[in-house]
This record gives sequence, structure tokens and C-alpha cells, in this order.
Amino acid sequence: MNLNSKNDVSSSVRVWDLGVRTFHWGLVTAVFVAAMTGFFGSPDSLSIHLIAGISICLLVLFRIIWGFSGSTYARFRTFLFSSNSVRQRLQDILARRHIRYLGHNPLGAWMIFALLLTLTLIVSTGAVVLGGVFKQGPLAFMMSFTTGRLVQEIHQILAFGLVGLIVLHLLGVAYETIIGKEKLISAMISGDKPALPDVAPPLPAKARPVVAFIVFAIFGLGGTFGVASFAARPGLGVPTASVDPLYAKECGACHFAYHPSMGTSAFWGGILGHLDQHFGEDASLPDGSRAQLAAYLKENSSEHWDTRVAHVLATANPNEPLRFTATRFWTRMHREIPDKVFASKAVGFKGACNACHSDAKTGLFAPQNIEIPEEARL
Amino acid sequence: MKNRLFVAIAFVALMPIIAYAAAAQKPIIDGYLAAAKAENSAFSGFSAERGKAFFLAKHDTSADTPSCTTCHTADPTKAGQTRAGKDVAPMAVSKTPDRFTDAEKVEKWFTRNCQSVLGRACTAQEKGDFITFMASL
Repeated sequence: MNLNSKNDVSSSVRVWDLGVRTFHWGLVTAVFVAAMTGFFGSPDSLSIHLIAGISICLLVLFRIIWGFSGSTYARFRTFLFSSNSVRQRLQDILARRHIRYLGHNPLGAWMIFALLLTLTLIVSTGAVVLGGVFKQGPLAFMMSFTTGRLVQEIHQILAFGLVGLIVLHLLGVAYETIIGKEKLISAMISGDKPALPDVAPPLPAKARPVVAFIVFAIFGLGGTFGVASFAARPGLGVPTASVDPLYAKECGACHFAYHPSMGTSAFWGGILGHLDQHFGEDASLPDGSRAQLAAYLKENSSEHWDTRVAHVLATANPNEPLRFTATRFWTRMHREIPDKVFASKAVGFKGACNACHSDAKTGLFAPQNIEIPEEARL
Repeated sequence: MKNRLFVAIAFVALMPIIAYAAAAQKPIIDGYLAAAKAENSAFSGFSAERGKAFFLAKHDTSADTPSCTTCHTADPTKAGQTRAGKDVAPMAVSKTPDRFTDAEKVEKWFTRNCQSVLGRACTAQEKGDFITFMASL
């Protein structure tokens, strides 16, 4: 039997419509990119991870709509199976009885719902992490760093769960292909499967792409406007005022004027108490300006903010409690940066945050705002 | 012809600024002059030569900052860089006309940097020689 023969119409059936196939391969691509950047990415791959996540969100939205408006085998009603039929399917597999299905078999159908549910949860937890940890996106105005960090754990567990589901899905495809002799992969490309004359097909349904498009556009545009308006709100605990001019002038004369949110009040007390021995140099200030800076730093120290940097740089290295670049967080985040970058003329120094972090002076340090200067990379 | 005219106009336009800067440095130099005379009765005036030698000398009191040139480089007409990666405008008055015009700023940096490089305060004569050298470039 030749599946690809156009003349042999009676023997092949269009099972997966264009919507299902586009969704499937689009999802494969988006999940692959999201997984690669999520599991193996460096801090600056967040933007690609976000694009992949938003794509998954839109694909899942489309698939849910298509589940009510697609052609026969795309509709959810054609693959709603009871747990009994799933058990039956498992028993058939174990007994090496191969029963063919045109659309999803009961086990495969449950996998589809499990995947859609897991993806929805991953996208939702991702939005919480983005809001709480990075102070970006629609939830930044309400999510605390602590919540974001906790949900990040859940996001990661779900991601591992998704990998598990994908492995099972691929094992299922392998089983159907090798044991069941079904050409599942080519069916997901061409859309066609050999007909099953003995099995009564489900009540056929016509695809309604225009309806689907309108519903998708309503949800998509509404969602986009909602997300945009929430994302425009200031992030919870994010500093908005620019750095004090005296601080910027005095401290910024020799080094990048570190945002006050980068140190605890104890840290700043330690710095101001030993200005005459400031990292090997005398950086004494007249008492008046020192008192003014002490008040400013105390009011704006990390305890007053909820950004990532305010939380993670506060855990100082006991051996060098006053050096940001000695903290475990700093070391971990910069482990992939070669020493020659710091030694280059364009950077010059490990503590020159603003050489690569264009938003360093705001204290936000968004992963998307990192760019190592061209001349430092040579 | 046009170029020469342009240079002449630019020069005339810059005259007041240069004159102002020179005038603004005078009170600071005069202050150190009086202090140097008080420190040493045999003092006979500042010397750009002595200032140059002082600037280039390796004092080796501190491993991090053995000399003025550690940050300012050996050529004061060029920009330097702090150990923390910030650019320092050239010390030469010809390149940075507002150098040594703010007494408070001058004292702040002499206090800090003499302590860092020499491990002691500088004498009025050293400060005056230094400024005289930077103004001569």
C-alpha cells in the first residue's frame, strides 16, 4: 500500500489536519528551544527562553481552541477516553495485542492532555518567576522575590516532569512504529493514515478555521493588552529614583557607583567606617559628606528592596565581606566569563558592573541587559 | 586661508577660558607657596623639574599603588585609569583646564593619594611642585 499515492484515496484518510500538524511541530521547536535555554542557557539566554515560552503559551491557546473547532480528529471529544479504556490499552500492549486507532489511542490521548496541562502549568509558573525574581512581565507588580524563588523550584520540577512525559511520548511513538508498524511520524508530516474500514469513525466534524481565528484573535489580543498593561506597572520593591548625586560624584569618581540596594546596611556601615583603608587605598571623605552618604545608604540598603540583587548579594563571603565580587552568587553568575574580559581596557576591573550590565546603575541587572563590549571579547 | 582664520578665531575665543583657568589656579598655588615658606625658610620657589621627578618616582610604599603613574600613567597629557576601571582625565592643565581650580577637591585628592602612594601626607612644596609641573605641560 502506498500512503503517498494521491490516486489511492480510499485507502488513506486525512487524520491530522494542518492545524494539528503545525501545532505539533511548532510546539516541538518551541519546547526544544525553551528546554535548551532553560537547562543549559547562560544568564543572558533569558530573552530566547521567554520568546520560546510565549510561543508555547500561544500554541497551547490555539490547540485548546482547535480542540473545539478543528476537524474530526483534532476535536477533544474524539479522544476523551475513560481510565478503563486506558487500562485496557495497557493490557493490550502487555499481551502484545495490537489494536489500531485512527486518531489518538487512549494512552496517547491521555498523554496529550497531560502535556497540555503540564505546559500550561510551566508557562504560568514561568510568569510568576519572571515577575518575582526578575521583576519583569505582567506579575512583576505583585510578586515578591521569595514567592518567585519558591515557584522557580516548581517551574523546574515541572520542566523535568515535561521531559519525562516527552520521553514516554517518544517511547509510545517508537512502540507504535516498531511493534505496531504504524507510520506515525510520516502521518504527523503528511496528515494521512491508512484507512481502517472495520472501525466506525467518530462523528465527522468540519474544521472551522475562521471561527478559530476569531476566537484566537480575541483571546490573543485581549491577553496581549492585559499583559502589556500589567507589565507597565512598576515592579514590587524595585528602586525607581536615580542614585543620589553626592553618592554618584564621590563614589563614582574611582569606581562604578554601586547601587545602594547591592549592600546591606551593615555592609555600607563597614564601607563608610574604613574609608581610609578602602580596598588598599585611602578614600577618606570630609565628615559632612560622609554623614550625608551614610544616611542615604542606610535608607536605601538592600533591606529596603525586593530585587534579585538586593537578595542575593546580601549573602556576603565571610572572608571578604565587603567585596561584591567575592560573593558566591557573583562568582557563580560570572563563571563563564574569561579573565581577559575583566582585564581588558573596556572593562578593566571585576567590579566595573556597568561595563557589561547597561542597567547596573538602576540596581535591576536584568539578564537581557548584559552585553560584553566587543573589544573586551577579542 | 579659511582654516587659518578658523584657528585664529578659535584661539581668540578660547583665550578668556585659558586666562580664567590660569587665574583660578593662582590662589591655590599661592596658598601652597605660603605654606612651603612656612615649612622651610630656605624655600626658593616651586620647580616643574622637581614636580616631574616626584610624579614619576616609584615610592613603593604600597604594592597596589607604588607610584602616581600607577593610575595617571607616565604621560600626564593622557587619560589614566583607576584600579577600579574608571577613566581619569589627563592631569596636564593644557588638556584638562579645570585642574587645580577647586581648592577643596585638590586637597581631598592630595590627602587621599599621598596617603595611598607615599603612606604619609605630602609637603606643601611637593604639592606646589606637582601643580607647577602639571601646569607647565
